[in-house]
Amino acid sequence: MNWTTFLHFTRGPLFQVSLLIFVGGMAYRLVRVVLLGWKGDKAPAKGSKLAGVAKTYLKGFLIFPFIPWVKRTFNRNPIMYLAGGLFHLGLFAAILLGTPHMLVWKSLLGFGWPTLPLPIVDWLAAASIAAMIALLFYRRTNSLLKLLTGPAETLNWLLVFLPMVTGYIMTHHLFFQYEVLFSLHMLSVDVLLIWIPLSRISHFMFYFFSRTIHGVEFGKRGVTP
Amino acid sequence: MQTQKAMNTFVKETGGWVASQLEACTRCGMCAEACHFYQATGVPEYAPVWKVELLRRAYEQRFTVSGKVKLAIGIDSEISDEDLLNWSSYVYHACTVCNKCSMVCPMGIDLGTLIHDVRSGLAEAGVVPADLAAAVQKQIEEGSPLGMTDEVYADRLEWVTDDWEVDIPIDKEGAETLVVLSSIEVMKFPQNIAAVAEVLNAAGENWTLSTKAREVVNFGFYEGSHSHTTLFLKRILDQAMAMGVKRLVVTECGHAYDALRWTAYNLMEIPDSLEITHITGLLGEYVSSGRIKLKAGAFNEGKITFHDACKIQRKGGHINEPRQILNILSPDAFVEMTPNREEAICCGGGGGVIAIKDADPIRYAAFELKIDQVKKTGADTVVMSCSNCRLQFTDGKEHFNLDWKINGLTQMVADALAD
Repeated sequence: MNWTTFLHFTRGPLFQVSLLIFVGGMAYRLVRVVLLGWKGDKAPAKGSKLAGVAKTYLKGFLIFPFIPWVKRTFNRNPIMYLAGGLFHLGLFAAILLGTPHMLVWKSLLGFGWPTLPLPIVDWLAAASIAAMIALLFYRRTNSLLKLLTGPAETLNWLLVFLPMVTGYIMTHHLFFQYEVLFSLHMLSVDVLLIWIPLSRISHFMFYFFSRTIHGVEFGKRGVTP
Repeated sequence: MQTQKAMNTFVKETGGWVASQLEACTRCGMCAEACHFYQATGVPEYAPVWKVELLRRAYEQRFTVSGKVKLAIGIDSEISDEDLLNWSSYVYHACTVCNKCSMVCPMGIDLGTLIHDVRSGLAEAGVVPADLAAAVQKQIEEGSPLGMTDEVYADRLEWVTDDWEVDIPIDKEGAETLVVLSSIEVMKFPQNIAAVAEVLNAAGENWTLSTKAREVVNFGFYEGSHSHTTLFLKRILDQAMAMGVKRLVVTECGHAYDALRWTAYNLMEIPDSLEITHITGLLGEYVSSGRIKLKAGAFNEGKITFHDACKIQRKGGHINEPRQILNILSPDAFVEMTPNREEAICCGGGGGVIAIKDADPIRYAAFELKIDQVKKTGADTVVMSCSNCRLQFTDGKEHFNLDWKINGLTQMVADALAD
């Protein structure tokens, strides 16, 4: 098997199977948690739960990532704050607003959208990769993060890092033949897709649960979340 | 020790509410930056995320594929007796369940409640610190963890009535408002009882104390035991319902308010006709409606700051009332600490911590953050609306030899009542 056939395999059948596992796995995780049951809260509310939810999303999505002093965590933990924020920004910019990725979405969803110019995506991706390296270093040195980091956390890091770095090298046509890098990029994406439902990378889905709960809990007490 | 009982409790606690939040955690460790015990000591195990670890392990091992795989290949192990002992020291000694961590969590996880669930498991397994367990036992037998028996209660009330020359209705029939004191007030801050009485009398409230519902403190809630929490709540609520009062007022006690206002409804039936409120809310209501008049500027000398209690302000929502009152009593003297309101730093004595002798060193260490905060304001008086905080402040003041005046909000209001 040469690299061209391998590329066809990784971006064709393997990608489709991985995507199915990803979607099926996440659906399973979602249903599993939802079916565990939800006890209603009978305590009469003091404030509006809905207002709490609205405020917490506003803070969580818009203010928290961009105006660090709102939560005063910036002074205490600037590395996690900056590197964590930059990583997510670069990641979402690349997979949603990078032209090649948008085309993949278009082939899957049937519609596309405007994208960012390559140099901007490229710089954000580079920043994202640098942030990941900083985060790994931080996880290895900070005493609390060492306590919180097991094999699963390291594997999460690696399996996200590989698609990012192969994608970046590929865009710049460095070191290897294009088909080789493209195949490796697709292979790493496929592996990641299969891994996500088994790992904590699934937090992007449960974020909406915890954020909503946060808003409800603070809102019902009449406290700004 | 009955580890299986802890495990069973964790499993029982784990509905979608708990599971979805455990699933959302990315183990970023940001919550540690909000925790006064972690900040004061730097002990990684005191990070809120680590306090919840036991619950997460139980959840994953029992409910998730990855948890079962981890267990099978030896990355994770069954929860052991040793784990329970360790976590007992993390969640009882080094946590006041103040829930500030939930405010800095990027995912917004309600860590305080999850830590309370860990306590529930440990309580079922009987791994509660000895001092706390003894206090619970005392409350079961004597009706109060601080030795406030029926006789002591009656004696103290009689003494307050005489010494402060104030009318204190007890077991008054037809009363609309039932006030339940905490034994901290009765035993340590009796002036607070007089203050409550003066304010309610001035407002023309048809109120009473009860000899049956006489202890608002709930050490079962500290412990995390549902059965003890319910037992102590019922002693108050059954009496309130039997008397047919419309309103139940919790005096300056934080966790008791948390238990009654937010938890009780989910443990027992409470009629809609019974309103449960905190004295801080009531003071705000009296001032706003003009039912009591205050001497403006009655405390306007020096600098006065307000300490926000985690269960009354951050978790109770009575954030504006103290400001409203202090802006009348101390328009020039009142200064805010930073951070304040819902983001305030906890005093370090709540959640039962002050009752655990072994926790003293870290309790004092955490209080140093508070000292720092107060010093930055230049205040010479610290006011609060929680007797547990007040106990911590009074004790901390002595321990660190601080030149502060500690005051309660109700007491200030009583002292500033216009004739």
